[in-house]
Amino acid sequence: MTSTTIGILQRGRRLRRGWRRAMIGGLLALLAVCFLLALMLGQSVTPPADVLRVLLGGDVAGASFTVGQLRLPRAVISILAGMCFGMGGAAFQVMLRNPLASPDIIGISAGASAAAVFAIVFLSLDGASVSGIAIAAGLGVALLIYALSFKGGVAGSRLILVGIGISAMIHSFIAYALARAPAWDLQEAMRWLTGSVNGARLDQAGLLLLVLLVLGGLLLARSRDLEMLRMGDDVASALGVRVGMTRMTVILGAVGLIAVATATTGPIAFTAFLSGPIAARVVGSHGSVLVPAALVGALLVLTGDYAGQFLLPGRYPVGVVTGALGAPFLIFLIIRANRTGGTL
Amino acid sequence: MTVDHQLSVTELTAGYGGTPILQGLNLDLLPGQITAIVGANACGKSTLLRVMSRLLRPDAGQVTLDGGSIHRMPTRALARVLGLLPQSPVAPEGITVADLVSRGRHPHQGLVSRWRRTDDEAVAAALDATRMSDLADRSVDELSGGQRQRAWIAMALAQDTDLLMLDEPTTFLDVSHQIELLDLLCDLNARRGTTIVMVLHDLNLAARYADHLVALRHGQLLVQGPPEDVLVERTVHQVFGLTSRIVTDPVSGRPMMLPIGRHRTRAESP
Repeated sequence: MTSTTIGILQRGRRLRRGWRRAMIGGLLALLAVCFLLALMLGQSVTPPADVLRVLLGGDVAGASFTVGQLRLPRAVISILAGMCFGMGGAAFQVMLRNPLASPDIIGISAGASAAAVFAIVFLSLDGASVSGIAIAAGLGVALLIYALSFKGGVAGSRLILVGIGISAMIHSFIAYALARAPAWDLQEAMRWLTGSVNGARLDQAGLLLLVLLVLGGLLLARSRDLEMLRMGDDVASALGVRVGMTRMTVILGAVGLIAVATATTGPIAFTAFLSGPIAARVVGSHGSVLVPAALVGALLVLTGDYAGQFLLPGRYPVGVVTGALGAPFLIFLIIRANRTGGTL
Repeated sequence: MTVDHQLSVTELTAGYGGTPILQGLNLDLLPGQITAIVGANACGKSTLLRVMSRLLRPDAGQVTLDGGSIHRMPTRALARVLGLLPQSPVAPEGITVADLVSRGRHPHQGLVSRWRRTDDEAVAAALDATRMSDLADRSVDELSGGQRQRAWIAMALAQDTDLLMLDEPTTFLDVSHQIELLDLLCDLNARRGTTIVMVLHDLNLAARYADHLVALRHGQLLVQGPPEDVLVERTVHQVFGLTSRIVTDPVSGRPMMLPIGRHRTRAESP
């Protein structure tokens, strides 16, 4: 009897694991194709052979500038920032068991964004110091929301409502700071309001890659405990998970990812919010959603930026496109929560 | 069969947000026995279970397992000895029964160690014991209430602990599923010698299935002992403020409580 059950278990696990691997492989392949297309396509088409030569450091007349200077930095920053947003957002959603608990809804991205604007406009800083201030502000906002919604434990919906309120306050500060900016620049303003990879530079990639490796690695190392939090704090704790410590680690890691990406590209609207749920639908609920969410985030920003540049009438920053995708999903979630009587 | 662990509660005061619910409570759990905690609503039954399973920190006093405070033990090591099924737990969306039950093995796995054969055996045994093997690949969302509760019990069984605590495990189950579940816990107690502690609403089921009853009133231990000593008319009145008659259950030979209300008593009918 037990041996047949073991057989059922092993077969089921093989199936689900195989499906998950195939889907992650598929997402990776799709990302690679999109990356190549983003380098090839634009106002002119560059053949793949030329793209490859430019990537390998060759000098190709006409292509070196468009591919090497214009498209490559955009594509690379899109992918890295998208990964940070996707993974950070999914970590929050899993931790609080609610897709609405994403950093871009509860004001953490807005906090990082506001700090970056403040540092640039009023303190005339740039580079890593802006990132540092954005991380500090993101963490500050996260802890503030946590403290304000703490009442003998943290309830997801209370935290979300507090976060939405804080987010609205911070957005008005961003608008104020931009209005006070000495050189009012629409592109710059859009970047800090909805996010944009305009003006992406390759030298920004190093910092993004570093936080992805360090903080992304930290999150992945805790992913099994994080996954257990989906069972509820009580069950997780009864199964030997140190809930408080896991939660603090996840907040640190996820806020760091979100804040550094925000300091680079601005809060690319709804990327953190959308990636996790899309990834969960693609790979199923077997295993951690962090890696697939990072891939989906990269895909969203990369294709969203391309669509904003070339597929729509006029040119829009990527945040406008992802924002247009995210808003209907937000409404869908709220309607569903109403209908099933579930939590927010 | 298994090592008997001794769980003791001494001078326990605990509650939420500074309001004490339990006050100066002392209790020694009987190893290898089934204990049921009974009492009126808001008397501290669930709070007691939460403190005993270290989900809640006591404000004063302590809970010890084999002499050591459970709130100072490494949580993973404790989770190999003490399991807990909270009241109406929520499964992650889309998770399969096999996956849910497998999570019961979490405390047995190291930070890096992979899934082993013994883990599979424990999960399979838990699925078989709860008759959930055929549903292993189904999504928990699709199950009926009774099946879902069995899946959670299977998860707790896969955890393979010597002590198992359950907070109102029969809530939302119809009567046949209640009996099925309590029978299952009796099996577990008989076969593995698992110490079982549960909060039960139904006094008669508690008297029938438990070896030991613990009656709480206003956050304090009123009386404890075998069902014959605890389920008496005086105690029922003290705990619930209810007049009752105790008879002998013709099925089990244990005491059985018949409530006496203002209506539908024989004296009232013509």
